[in-house]
Amino acid sequence: MKKHFVGEKAEKTVYAILAIATFFLAWAFITTFTAAGETTPGPVEVLKLLVDSFFEPIGRFTLYGHLYYSIRRVLVGYVVAAVLGIIVGIAMGTSRYAEAIIKPIFELIRPIPPIAWIPLVILWFGVGELPKYAIIFIGSFTNVTLNAYTGAQRVDPTLIGCAKMLGTSDRDIFLRVVLPSSLPQIFAGMQVALSTAWMAVLAAEMIGAQEGCGWIILRGSDTTNIPLVLVGMVVIGVVGLLLATIMRMAERRLCSWNRMDV
Amino acid sequence: MEQNGRIDHSIISLEHVSKRFESAGRVKEVVNDVSLEVKENEFVVLFGPGQCGKTTMINLIAGLEPASGGTVTVDGKKVEGPGADRGVVYQTTALFPFCTVMGNVEFGPKSRGIDKKTRRERAQYFINLVGLEGFEKSYPNQLSGGMRQRVGIARAYCNDPKVMLMDEPFGHLDAQTRYMMEEELEKIWQKEKRTVVFVTNNIEEAIYLADRIILLTNCPTSIKEEYIVDLPRPRSYVDPEFLKLRKTILDNTEETL
Repeated sequence: MKKHFVGEKAEKTVYAILAIATFFLAWAFITTFTAAGETTPGPVEVLKLLVDSFFEPIGRFTLYGHLYYSIRRVLVGYVVAAVLGIIVGIAMGTSRYAEAIIKPIFELIRPIPPIAWIPLVILWFGVGELPKYAIIFIGSFTNVTLNAYTGAQRVDPTLIGCAKMLGTSDRDIFLRVVLPSSLPQIFAGMQVALSTAWMAVLAAEMIGAQEGCGWIILRGSDTTNIPLVLVGMVVIGVVGLLLATIMRMAERRLCSWNRMDV
Repeated sequence: MEQNGRIDHSIISLEHVSKRFESAGRVKEVVNDVSLEVKENEFVVLFGPGQCGKTTMINLIAGLEPASGGTVTVDGKKVEGPGADRGVVYQTTALFPFCTVMGNVEFGPKSRGIDKKTRRERAQYFINLVGLEGFEKSYPNQLSGGMRQRVGIARAYCNDPKVMLMDEPFGHLDAQTRYMMEEELEKIWQKEKRTVVFVTNNIEEAIYLADRIILLTNCPTSIKEEYIVDLPRPRSYVDPEFLKLRKTILDNTEETL
């Protein structure tokens, strides 16, 4: 049985901080002492702009406003994708017919990047918030579905037989055996999907957006404001990290039975 | 009980049951024309060489596999699929890893819509009976092999089945734990009388627990012999009568090929 000591956790945190500090130092070093500095702003400049943008608006909003819009878009698209993905994935994993019908279509659509859907999504949903949700949805749906599918497929058939012997209805077997059995796998998929959903925010905000973290990058790109581009990138990186951490905490809580070191 | 014009005291009845598996065009005969009657509250052990089809017989009674021929009847009803009137204890324990000990034990009653207070009380009774008081909130992966199988037994009992089907429940345990569990099981069975069909390939276990031992042949399995064990309980593994029976049965047991 593996044991986690408090010391080990603190040690990990120290390493994480050191690694990030080294990254910023390397960035600062390269932009100060090499030719890269002529085109690329250093970390100090970017961080200064980042802090400023919490108070000074970029376009219509300060950074708070942009964060609000981006996170809202990602969460709406992501939650819909997660719920549908879990249902479709488990259906694929438990029913031979569902698998035979859905899987080929899925494998066909899967490699198409979210950005490629932009023209169609605009045709279908216009340029409001809906197409942005749709792009995020496309960016995260496949990962949730495929993982839920794998999870449901791997459910121990003895457990299903056992539940049947205990008089459990099919509906309860789904809710109380298949679903919890697949949960670790579902979480793995949701974790990846949250990253890809957040990645798709740039594509989503290419559709007539006036705000958002992706839009900051586009705005910086349009106005050749490279520090602004980097601010957008840093914000996306940090928020992505926070979202992933929250997901991991949720997983720890819900799948505690799956770990030895409870 | 009067049935089909004949007196029938048995709760489990197998009539000319056979089972064939077909895969890739090849037919494998596993159970060959087995007829068996088990009386209410009787402890019957199916004893036979490894791989002879004992587990298949349990699965046929459980309804987890359909019989290829003949009929299986439990408590007057023909077995046509899984059902809560038969409790199964698995060799692999088959506990729900995502449920606590309490969650596992109350799984059956919860499935059958029994209200929380009643089923909790009942589950607690069986958790205590198998000696797991204080482990209600533990998950299976936090328990030892013997403790897990105790949960398996409590879970089967808690659902109040008519008959218990135990498929080599102690097969994965070390020798020491195995002896302990055999004693425990006997105590539990004395307290909570139930019809038990118990599968094993361990002769001491068979004689220690059984009212009646059904000796099976190699695959395709059929009944070779029956032995009534009327030694007083709890039995001693070194009692001369015990050892004599052990020799008689072993001499008659086919060797696994």
